[in-house]
Amino acid sequence: MLYIQILLNGLMLGGLYACIAVGFSLVWGVLNVINIMHGSFVVLGSYIAYFAYVHLGVHPFFSIVLSGGALFVLGYALQAGLINRVVGAPVLTTLVLTFGLDLLLNNAMLLAFSADYRTVRLENPFGSLIVADLVIPLNRLYGMLLAGALTALLYMVLMRSRMGRAIVAVRMDSEAAALMGVNVKRIFALTFGIGALMAGAAGSLLSLIFPISPIASTDFLGIAFVVCVLGGLGSIAGAMVGGLALGVIQSFGALFIGPQHGLTIAFILLIILLIFKPTGIMGRRGYE
Amino acid sequence: MTTRLFDHVRIVTAGVMLVGTCLTSAGAVAQETIRVGAPLPLTGPLSPEGIKQKRGYDLWAKTVNEAGGITVGEGTYEVEIIYVDYESNTPRAVQSAERLITEDEVNFLFSPFGSGAAKAASSVSERYRIPTIAATASSEQVYDQGYKFLFGTFTPNSTLTDPLAEIVAGSSEDIQTVAIYARNDLFPLAIAEEMRISANEKGYEIVAFDEYSIGTVDHASTLTLMRRSQPDWIFATGYINDLILIRQQMTDLGVEPKVLTMIAGPAYKEFIEATGSAAENVSSAAWWHPAVSYEGEGIFGATSDYVAAFEAEYGSLPDYAEASASAAGVILQLAIEESGSIDPEAVRDTLTQMDATTFYGPIRFGETGQITSLEPPVFQIQGGAPVVIYPEAVKQADMLYGDIQ
Repeated sequence: MLYIQILLNGLMLGGLYACIAVGFSLVWGVLNVINIMHGSFVVLGSYIAYFAYVHLGVHPFFSIVLSGGALFVLGYALQAGLINRVVGAPVLTTLVLTFGLDLLLNNAMLLAFSADYRTVRLENPFGSLIVADLVIPLNRLYGMLLAGALTALLYMVLMRSRMGRAIVAVRMDSEAAALMGVNVKRIFALTFGIGALMAGAAGSLLSLIFPISPIASTDFLGIAFVVCVLGGLGSIAGAMVGGLALGVIQSFGALFIGPQHGLTIAFILLIILLIFKPTGIMGRRGYE
Repeated sequence: MTTRLFDHVRIVTAGVMLVGTCLTSAGAVAQETIRVGAPLPLTGPLSPEGIKQKRGYDLWAKTVNEAGGITVGEGTYEVEIIYVDYESNTPRAVQSAERLITEDEVNFLFSPFGSGAAKAASSVSERYRIPTIAATASSEQVYDQGYKFLFGTFTPNSTLTDPLAEIVAGSSEDIQTVAIYARNDLFPLAIAEEMRISANEKGYEIVAFDEYSIGTVDHASTLTLMRRSQPDWIFATGYINDLILIRQQMTDLGVEPKVLTMIAGPAYKEFIEATGSAAENVSSAAWWHPAVSYEGEGIFGATSDYVAAFEAEYGSLPDYAEASASAAGVILQLAIEESGSIDPEAVRDTLTQMDATTFYGPIRFGETGQITSLEPPVFQIQGGAPVVIYPEAVKQADMLYGDIQ
């Protein structure tokens, strides 16, 4: 029973990890831009959810629309206005640009919201479901399910819509896509916007679970990075599998070797994977 | 007639100039400053702590300057605190301390945040023979280096854990097992080790002693094990974000010990705001609490006066880190005034002999430079606010057991 409980803990944690990483993976895969701002986007989404709940009474599950929408606009504007200018440059250039923008965004949040930790405390907390001595915290369960639904929606958009097919086409070969009449710069901006939207939505969901502070952004960025590399870059299924794998490995690592080594185990596995299967668990198969 | 008028004008002009010169030179005396260097983590993961310390120092400096400055012999000096942000990076804290001493030529130094950085930077101030006051370093390893210029306002960690063990042991509750869960970091681990010693001395069985790494975002595995082993007392250490998350996950997973002690988050109002009803009956200990009461010497006077001044400035109650930072300023000021000089050696000698009472408590330093005269309060969150359980002199309520959900 203990192992089932640890597995459940790991899966629920992994679902949240996947939710953090999906947008990051999409941007990295399509634009070849490592978006250092991703962690700060998640935190900004959490703040939007926090203030929407405290001042307007909007439940964080519904403020996804607000945080996702706001972050989409911010992401689209940043890509169209700034990052598009250097998107073809070597990866270090875009890395430095997003790093600089992250310093600006993160310090602006520190000034605006201070570094104090806040949490969304619901008037009617979800509580936990107890089934045969297994405890399932409902906020994590619902958060994970909602994240899964959002990710599935994104997958459908990429699969079925004209815009989604254009993104996939740019991802596969941007020059060929341009020859077919796709406005590549616009697709870049849309993709970056969608990546930011997913980060903002993740922030809303996480506001119920993790303490909110601008300082948390580096933790989220680190998680997104590991999940992407673990699962395979640029694929939504990869982000899901990578997230779940990291959550489960970390939980069992903490159980067997001690909580201070949970992350160490995950990173050791990551190094082994990079040596033997550098494309990650799901390989590099794109968004088809 | 014209000549006489001209003479009058000349005399008046000369008079004005003379008065002007006097005023200017008086101004020059008042403008002499004592420069105190303060390397702080104002950005990065430790910035909440760094900002608290800065608020404490700022309030002291502002109050001193508004009262006309520090009296040294027959002159007065304004206080200027020179801050350097070391971005929560300890090696940079050491460089900042050196820069403050060599380039900014500060007269005195306030240590960087926490035991680790304070210890690292103390070697610099010792080398340059600059009296240094550490406002947030408690671990004895900071003070046992044989240094002569380092003084600290936190008593050793055991002065927090011993009274806790004493109180719980003295209750009628049946409490036998303790689980300790510590952040793998200098202070949180050091105080967890002290708790192990204090609990062993009282005959408790330590059923688990686990560490978690810095930046851990999930505690479910450890808490699941605790749910199975059901310890009577859980002692968790870390900083405020860790403790908020641990408290929330305890509720999620249904871990309900009879006693839950957390150090060092519950002393901050942010902890109560973030955890709400889950903060109830969480016990903790800190080096100071606004409820203590001392008729102090120095610029702030009694504890209640300090609390009022702090509330007027920042609109909130001071916590122990903020109070300790202000106390570091008061102690430095008392030492300078008593020495009648800003000579570093003279001020150091006065500090070693100091026997004063401030708003923060009685101030006497031991041979290592660490304060020995404080009796840190133990408190518990009851009815949404911290109430003092110990020491007897300032006790507000009895410790409550159970009801941790």
